[in-house]
Amino acid sequence: MAVADFVKSAGESFRVGWKIESNWTDPVLFATYQVIRPLASLLIVSFIVIIGASVGASANSAFYTRYLAWLIVGNAFYAFVLQIMLGMAILVHVDRTRYEVLKNIYISPGTLHPYVIGRGLVSVVNGAVSVILTLLFSVAIFNGLLHMNIPLNLLNVNLLMLIPAVILGIIGLLAIGYMLCAVNIVSNRMEFILGDSVSGTFFLLGGVIFPITSLPSQIQLISNVLPITFFLNAIRESFGITSMVTGDYMSNLTFLALTTLVALALGIGVFRLAEQRAKKLGLFDRKSEY
Amino acid sequence: MMLRGFSIREELLNNLRAAYARMWVRLRGANRDPISLVAEIGLPILTIGAYVVLYRAIGFPSTASSAVIVGGAMVAFWTNVLWNMSSQWFWEREQGNLEMYLVAPVSRMSILLGMALGGGLNTAIRALGIVLLGIFVFQVPFQLRDPLLVGVIFVLTLVALYALGMLFASLFMLYGREAWNTANLLQEPVYFLSGAYFPGFYVPIVPGAIQVAGSLIPMTIGLDAIRRLAIGGGDIASVWLHIVALIACTLILFPIARRALNYMESLGKKEGRLTLRWQ
Repeated sequence: MAVADFVKSAGESFRVGWKIESNWTDPVLFATYQVIRPLASLLIVSFIVIIGASVGASANSAFYTRYLAWLIVGNAFYAFVLQIMLGMAILVHVDRTRYEVLKNIYISPGTLHPYVIGRGLVSVVNGAVSVILTLLFSVAIFNGLLHMNIPLNLLNVNLLMLIPAVILGIIGLLAIGYMLCAVNIVSNRMEFILGDSVSGTFFLLGGVIFPITSLPSQIQLISNVLPITFFLNAIRESFGITSMVTGDYMSNLTFLALTTLVALALGIGVFRLAEQRAKKLGLFDRKSEY
Repeated sequence: MMLRGFSIREELLNNLRAAYARMWVRLRGANRDPISLVAEIGLPILTIGAYVVLYRAIGFPSTASSAVIVGGAMVAFWTNVLWNMSSQWFWEREQGNLEMYLVAPVSRMSILLGMALGGGLNTAIRALGIVLLGIFVFQVPFQLRDPLLVGVIFVLTLVALYALGMLFASLFMLYGREAWNTANLLQEPVYFLSGAYFPGFYVPIVPGAIQVAGSLIPMTIGLDAIRRLAIGGGDIASVWLHIVALIACTLILFPIARRALNYMESLGKKEGRLTLRWQ
């Protein structure tokens, strides 16, 4: 399939996906919905840290403000994980069972690949809206409203460091999302579990709300093969946050590129296998509401 | 409203049968797949685990981890209320079941009662699994002096919470994709407002406005009472106000849910939206 056709199909898929995701309401309400969930998650962990600081659980106040800066950035960018994992995990189920169009998409000249990529990109845009609004609200709440002097200046972000990390991270997450779609093509019981399982695992092991050094050493081995770990490390360094971040920016970016490459190879491989199996067993139009 | 030709006893029996039937479907449907059962117990442990590690990293006492395990178990009920009560009419409409409920000679409240009973029982099994697994994995302390009182508070919390679920189900009745998005929206903010992952909620560091907003959710009140009893070693004197508040919540929410259901049903009939799919 020519690249231009692929891009065109992915673009059309993005357009359809964006309408499904957003046209049920007006843009302001849509943006509000996109920001409330990650902001509430951030408030939960921030309040835990603030309660910790108030009862003097450990360390000094400088430690807590640095920790909050670390937390805000990690938690804000975790929105990409949530949006992509939850969005792509449910995609096959919704299109196969609810709208009953998966078989039509499969037999169209565009094939499923650009369709899945296009729909995944909708989750990326949703994630980006969440990230930007969460960062802005966080600074407004913690520095503007609560005067906490958190060392986080959004104008000082190093874009040359941020952009490659974000691009690589998103490719890695889309590749994992691709695998989730593949699993759902051949299964009809996992659609509500997979997204939460993967995002929950990344939340626990990816250094989102605490440094991975707080985990038992055997479990750190798993953290060190997840793209999310290096993604968040590189992102934090681009925001000038270096405390509690393991490794330097270049090493984190290199490991992010490597793990993304592995995820990409696995994602494409698993998807092709699932596609073949689904065709063989006639699973593209299987209804599974129960 | 009493149906013509039915005595009060017959009508009551009909409604109880309908509630039982809806409960049975829910129990059977949710427990026939062992993968889902394992996932619904195991998945919350990932989030709970992250907060336990955070508490340990910051240096909180181990009772804070106990609080987060109880909170994580109660969150399962909130998730159930959102996805299996509030959004349920949406799913039913999508699958073509809603019109069958509407033409059945029973009160819609009995269907909701069945959903609530089935959902509550299902989630109680999962919540017990979450607590036991949490205790086993994270080795946290509990100080349970009065299990009976904890049981009473727990049941009162569920009754009030599912009454809120009935109200939401009525309000969500005509939703299309809004149902999905609104259920999503109400997850994390309620985890925050209920203090589910905090070591304590009614403490001076949590702003008064947040405490007041959180107190509008029955789970917040019940969770605080259960924590006082099961972790703080408290007795009835420390939770009597919670008991009064939970009973008041139920007495207020249940009639509102009934009125809201009647109103939304009649609105749906007028606007022809009760059988509308793929919105």
